[in-house]
Amino acid sequence: MDTSRYAALFFTESREHLAAMDTALLAIEQDRQVAHVDTLFRGMHTIKGMAAAMAFEAVEQVAHALEARCDPLRRGEVPLTDYEIAALFDGVDRLRATVDDAANGQTALTPTAAVPSSPPSPTNRRVVEIRLVADCPLPGVRAVLVLARVRSLLTVRSTQPPEATWAEEKFDGAFAITVEGDAEERVIVESVRGAGDVARVEVVDARDREAAPTQVARTVRIDASRLDALLDLAGELVITRDRLVRALEAADGPPDRQVQRATRETARLISALHTEVLEARMLPVREVFDRFPRLVRDTARELGKEVMLSTEGQEIALDRSLLDAIGEPLLHLLRNALDHGMELPDDRERVGKPRSGQLVLRAARDRASVVIQVQDDGRGIDRDAVRTRAAAQGLIPDSMTTLSDEALLNVLAHPGFSMATHVSTLSGRGVGVDVVNTRVRALGGHLELETLAGAGTVFTLRLPVTLAIARAVIVRVGTSLYAIPAAQVVEVVDAEQRDLSPGRDAMQRETVTVRDHLMPLVDLAVLFDEEILPATVADGGQYLAVVESAGRRAALLVDGLVAQQDIVVKGLDPVRGGSHWFSGATILGDGTPALIVDVHRVV
Amino acid sequence: MSRTVLICDDAIFMRTMVGDILSQAGFEIVGEAETGVQAVEQYKALRPDLVTMDIVMPEMGGIDAVREITQHDPAARILMCSAMGQQALVVEAIQAGAKDFVVKPFQPSRVLEAVNRVLAA
Repeated sequence: MDTSRYAALFFTESREHLAAMDTALLAIEQDRQVAHVDTLFRGMHTIKGMAAAMAFEAVEQVAHALEARCDPLRRGEVPLTDYEIAALFDGVDRLRATVDDAANGQTALTPTAAVPSSPPSPTNRRVVEIRLVADCPLPGVRAVLVLARVRSLLTVRSTQPPEATWAEEKFDGAFAITVEGDAEERVIVESVRGAGDVARVEVVDARDREAAPTQVARTVRIDASRLDALLDLAGELVITRDRLVRALEAADGPPDRQVQRATRETARLISALHTEVLEARMLPVREVFDRFPRLVRDTARELGKEVMLSTEGQEIALDRSLLDAIGEPLLHLLRNALDHGMELPDDRERVGKPRSGQLVLRAARDRASVVIQVQDDGRGIDRDAVRTRAAAQGLIPDSMTTLSDEALLNVLAHPGFSMATHVSTLSGRGVGVDVVNTRVRALGGHLELETLAGAGTVFTLRLPVTLAIARAVIVRVGTSLYAIPAAQVVEVVDAEQRDLSPGRDAMQRETVTVRDHLMPLVDLAVLFDEEILPATVADGGQYLAVVESAGRRAALLVDGLVAQQDIVVKGLDPVRGGSHWFSGATILGDGTPALIVDVHRVV
Repeated sequence: MSRTVLICDDAIFMRTMVGDILSQAGFEIVGEAETGVQAVEQYKALRPDLVTMDIVMPEMGGIDAVREITQHDPAARILMCSAMGQQALVVEAIQAGAKDFVVKPFQPSRVLEAVNRVLAA
């Protein structure tokens, strides 16, 4: 029978099951309920059946092995230990890998696809892998202490490298102890950590390690700080590359063909290296999103509210450093939504909403950025209350009778703004938003807000996919250099051009018209309080950089164009004031510092 | 009740320093020993919760003192104070029954971490 026309269906459905199995695994890890094992078991069983029908031998066998492993767990014959759970995670990953292989036309069983189908052997041989912290004094001695602790729990069979070599200078604090015995993984890990100066400890099945030669090549665990260091180095290389290229261009005499070719090749390799390192740092947002379901449930319960949290786009990948940094802002936004946005169940019922509120945590790719949203279907932010309060605090003119979403966000994010004197549903609303806004800007992103009375609120974090490097246009304003993110520069025109039709808009701001677009003219020298040098004006070197953010344009008047190049973005310390117009800073190739213009703010 | 400590080191300088670090953290220094012999005697007399032990001391070295003390009290909690380059000696002390070690020059945080580990074990 020709099964090929069912293939697409098989893959779609298998992947759905795999996703459900992932969820079940996480649930198992959290509450250890055997009921989730049933879900897991059903998924495997279905996939096994479908794979058999498709003659996907590898998928079928792996699913079968997993099923065999699951069965005693499901019946309660084998307890759900850390070891078993880790094996299930591992097994589901392998099942996914074989399904992917099958999608790529590889359907026969390969050695790496095999799953240990039997429960751990009676001797239960495992390997305890340990890495000591980098600055550990006398690592060889610390390792001896670790070994002594492991010995108190298990029978030690061997160590790698051999214990006798631990005293040697080349011992770097990474070692593995092969053991036999029944001690629970958690107990082993705790005991080893108790020896002090342990950076990482892992207990793995010895058979996984014996089959190591092929596996080691596939994944190697790397300390996160090492990856950071690698990225820093790659970033510096990128900048040095630009410097080299410029130095060669500026050199006197005809360029040497050989040198040119080698330079070009080096430049290409450095770019490739940088991309590779950046990608190695990407992690799915799941890593952060997974922290919240429990927290939302607990907070909601505390507040007497009923809330369903759903997450979308968990697989979207972000740079690890960004991922680490967004946890807290998201926490603020979720807490805000629960505390201030969501109504009590009775109140919701009264206005005709379901008793249980919907909270959505969503990630999506949007061209060069990643968008993360926190959406609630609560009461929305009370614009009038915020407006009245903001006017009273002098943050907006009294004449402003309505607040747009953007103006509302600006008020809420204002560090001094507070609704605290009103003991109202909005009390404290300002504080969290201020913190979130500052954080997000420090990451080179920005925050957006949409709110509708009675219907709910959406906060949107727009973040760059990778934090570290960005293409920028370097401009001179007065005597200082500034970087404008190239992605936001539409074009650059000569400021002396005749057809700019300067004018003023309704708010008396200066405007220009570039290619039929009327836009405000922003003199960066005035904005940034730079000294206006007559000499630069005499140069006639002034330019307009037309920038765009969130659909709005502006023309930035600058005194000179320096270069377009890659820059390493460093966050600004939000505590050091005066950074209102800037999202970060960078060090240029020649060592000059430059501030990175926050186009969103300026526009 | 604060934990009691016996400090064993032949240098007054080191005894003072370790003593300061520990007393500032709330420990009670109940005794000081300048030699291994004194260390063993004082341990028997004072039964402190913790001993800090230098490796090289006159009369009887720190490692032998560890051996004698643990023979007398297998549960004794001894923290070795070592200098860089004494790796093999520290290993010997641990095999003799010492529970952990710190390396000179002392950083208060590291000393306290090690002390807490020894007391927690």
